[in-house]
Amino acid sequence: MSVIHNVEVPQPTQHGAAGGIMRRLNFGTGLAGGIGLAAIFGIITSQFVPTGASSAVTFAPIEGDLVYLAVLLGWVIGFMAGMGAFIGPIRWVLGREETHEDAEYMAGKDMGKSRYWKYTTDHKVVGIQYFIVTLIVFGFGGTLAMLIRTELGVTWSEVFSPSFYNAIIGTHGIAMIIAMIIVISGPIGNFIVPIMIGARDMAFPRLNALSLWLLVAAVPCLISSLFLGGMRDGWSAYQPLIAQAPSGVLGYQITIIVFAISTGVASVNLMTTILTMRCKGMTWSRTPILVYGIFAASLMGLYAFPFYQYSQILSLSDRIFNTSFFNPLEGGSVWLYENLFWLLGHPEVYVILIPSMAIMMELIPVFMRKPLFSYNFAIAGIVGVVALSGLVWAHHMYMTGWAPAANYPFMLSTEMISIPVGFLVLVVIGTLWRGTAWTRLPLMAVYAVIFNKMIGGVTGVYLSDVPADQYFHGGMFVVAHFHYMLMGAGFFGAMGGIAFYFPKMTGRILDERLGSIGLWTTFIGFQITFGSMFVAGLQGQPRRVLQFDEQFNISNWISTIGAYIIGIGVLIFLAAIIFSWKSGVVASGNPWGSKSLEWQTPTPVPLDNFAVLPVVTERPYEYGVPDPLDAELEPAPEEQLESAGTR
Amino acid sequence: MTITLIPDQPESPTNRPPSMHRLRTWLRRPYARHILIWTVVIGFLLLPLAWLMLAAMNQTGAPASEIMKDIEQTVFVFTIVSIPITAFVFAVLLYSLVGWKQVSGDEPPMQDSPAIRTNRIGVILWTFVSSALAFFLVVWGLIELAQITANSYGTISADQQPGDNNSVIVNVTGQQWVWTFAYPQHDGIVSNVLYLPIDKPVYFNVTSKDVIHSFWLVELGVKIDANPGAITQTGVTPNKEGVFNLRCAELCGMHHAYMETEIRVVSQEVFDAWTREMGGMRTS
Repeated sequence: MSVIHNVEVPQPTQHGAAGGIMRRLNFGTGLAGGIGLAAIFGIITSQFVPTGASSAVTFAPIEGDLVYLAVLLGWVIGFMAGMGAFIGPIRWVLGREETHEDAEYMAGKDMGKSRYWKYTTDHKVVGIQYFIVTLIVFGFGGTLAMLIRTELGVTWSEVFSPSFYNAIIGTHGIAMIIAMIIVISGPIGNFIVPIMIGARDMAFPRLNALSLWLLVAAVPCLISSLFLGGMRDGWSAYQPLIAQAPSGVLGYQITIIVFAISTGVASVNLMTTILTMRCKGMTWSRTPILVYGIFAASLMGLYAFPFYQYSQILSLSDRIFNTSFFNPLEGGSVWLYENLFWLLGHPEVYVILIPSMAIMMELIPVFMRKPLFSYNFAIAGIVGVVALSGLVWAHHMYMTGWAPAANYPFMLSTEMISIPVGFLVLVVIGTLWRGTAWTRLPLMAVYAVIFNKMIGGVTGVYLSDVPADQYFHGGMFVVAHFHYMLMGAGFFGAMGGIAFYFPKMTGRILDERLGSIGLWTTFIGFQITFGSMFVAGLQGQPRRVLQFDEQFNISNWISTIGAYIIGIGVLIFLAAIIFSWKSGVVASGNPWGSKSLEWQTPTPVPLDNFAVLPVVTERPYEYGVPDPLDAELEPAPEEQLESAGTR
Repeated sequence: MTITLIPDQPESPTNRPPSMHRLRTWLRRPYARHILIWTVVIGFLLLPLAWLMLAAMNQTGAPASEIMKDIEQTVFVFTIVSIPITAFVFAVLLYSLVGWKQVSGDEPPMQDSPAIRTNRIGVILWTFVSSALAFFLVVWGLIELAQITANSYGTISADQQPGDNNSVIVNVTGQQWVWTFAYPQHDGIVSNVLYLPIDKPVYFNVTSKDVIHSFWLVELGVKIDANPGAITQTGVTPNKEGVFNLRCAELCGMHHAYMETEIRVVSQEVFDAWTREMGGMRTS
């Protein structure tokens, strides 16, 4: 028998108002801090550090590099300081403990809309903030895409100068890659996953805010690069081409370095949350598939992004300090850079695709009113993709002459990855099998994803094969293929996910009519654009060119028309988001009749998600009725017993 | 040696119907037949793609070498192999929208669908078929890769290149934004247009003076990066006379789009005349 003692737990004493100095910090002070420190760093560097050809030592040989670098670093540090990112560690060093009121203040309790402008730790606020940032980055990247297609559609003259064209293709590439990486793991991973697993918040709420605001700090660095000559070398920023680039490329490199930290922090946070904070009864076989998807994406991000970060740090050091990691004339290797870059490059594709596949598998059971077909097979597929994703990077380097013998094993591993991806396709079509389709917008997005994913997947098989890749590598076929994967599967999956979780995140239903018009317009435009881009690739048009032979004119005109249709479609979808957010139909707590945990909370979700933490007692996706057709094939239970007895 | 005879016994009754019977029962369901028919129809609709893709690739005179022929064969086979599985997925997609039941409306449907949690035969069949297809593609790819490596003399290192009259060595240099071709066997004549004699092995030693370029003989199906500080080897035997395209396939700076030139595959006589005109010594 145990005795319960009433023990007084010592509480840290409150000094002043909850939150302390945090009360005065918000996005405004962040901007002020960033711009202020950037100016200070910039002035100090330009006044006191000799650079350029005039300096005695060969140090930052390109005029203006060092000043721009100092400005960028000043911006990032100043912005993070102004947002209050350093308050926590400083208070901890000074020995001031965080009280309950402080924590509640940090989580944005009773603060209304202003909490979205602060270093708020509540995962729901972070999710919405991620959503907004994603929209902004998409808008930026999408505008650049329209410029690219305009240049390629106007075949009779150059609309932009070749260097500006090269700058927009590189910036479009990296902006869209960043947007696609965060579009599901950011808004949905942060907002939905903790509720989905029955937790009150993420494992590390302050790291959550840190990852978001680091991203916000990184985005202006990328945008600023366009005004300083841009990064003209494609998003891959191959050495030694970028040694010739103007200062703008530093904006790209700092963006990547900061973004990699942000991704690492977010990945660790999501993984820890999923590993340790699932509610009672949510065993691994009762965990929804989206949680697996986000976990897999975080895991791949965690090992892929350091390679990217190192490659950019080394590349930056080559530029500023005249090291020669990648300079072949001084003993470096261009192939080293390519390897480091693609060690990120391929897992990163699955960082984008796996959450989109997982969203699909999460949506279909709800709209088909069926359990997920072969849940275990879906997990096997995800595990297979994660396991193989790190072993395939050199298929981007078949034609580099780096190691011709390595083409054999990398072709093998790349084509093997079609098997686990095939598992996921089976799960999807198995779940559609004989279901009653509730044809709402999220389900329609799923159809679009599977269609695009099949085309992207099949064309990927050509590219995984060295002989065929010898023709397609570096051409428009590759561009069309990865747009089918990243945009066709990733972006349409995100549209479905956003439409599905919109009621939970905003409290209103996404306008069905406007949203559907947007979705299908985008879909049609997408097929036109990238379908005819396949043709250009087959005809032999290289990528990243702004002028080309006449034989490519027709497919490029069609492509450009399609691109404008995409632009219109995306704007319609954006309009649906904005109008529905402002004045859409107010949603009930569970408008889709879903059985997973996140829909069992009231909308808007209270600060700590659940009044009482839930206990899970069954597998996810327990929809459906016993199959009436089973009787035809399976023996009745009593007969089974008999036959077991006779054996 | 004794022989144990197993007495005839009536088979113990199993109530699980034999698999053929199960298959027949399954095929009697209307949707099964419909989906199979739709798969075949969609498959045949997709089939022309196999030829259309080649037609697009052949617009400017390809294939002009054995390598390109291998590449096109690979593209063709891959299209044919992927059509059945694509057609099946598309058929299920389409059928799930229009074939089985469909509801609309704002409220979640009251009626749930049959709870098909898994299907052992389906899963095994799918895994087996997709693995077999992947295995076939890998084996095909490996064989073709060995083939085109042999055809492009990828196994012969620079110092083993024969350099006799039965082959041509071309030293290719990429620089922003021109290609330069040097013919060391012909007094090192230098040209900006790639002249090649027909039906003779050509060895390329490719390098770059500044950044990475990619040396792409479009209709001949040859592609290899030109790296600064390294020489990459490849080769080809052109087997069709004509004027073909040579493009740079790796972003190399401002005028990347304009870094292209002509390949002229000519008869041996014309080639000899050209080398004489350029000041090289006479071969053959």
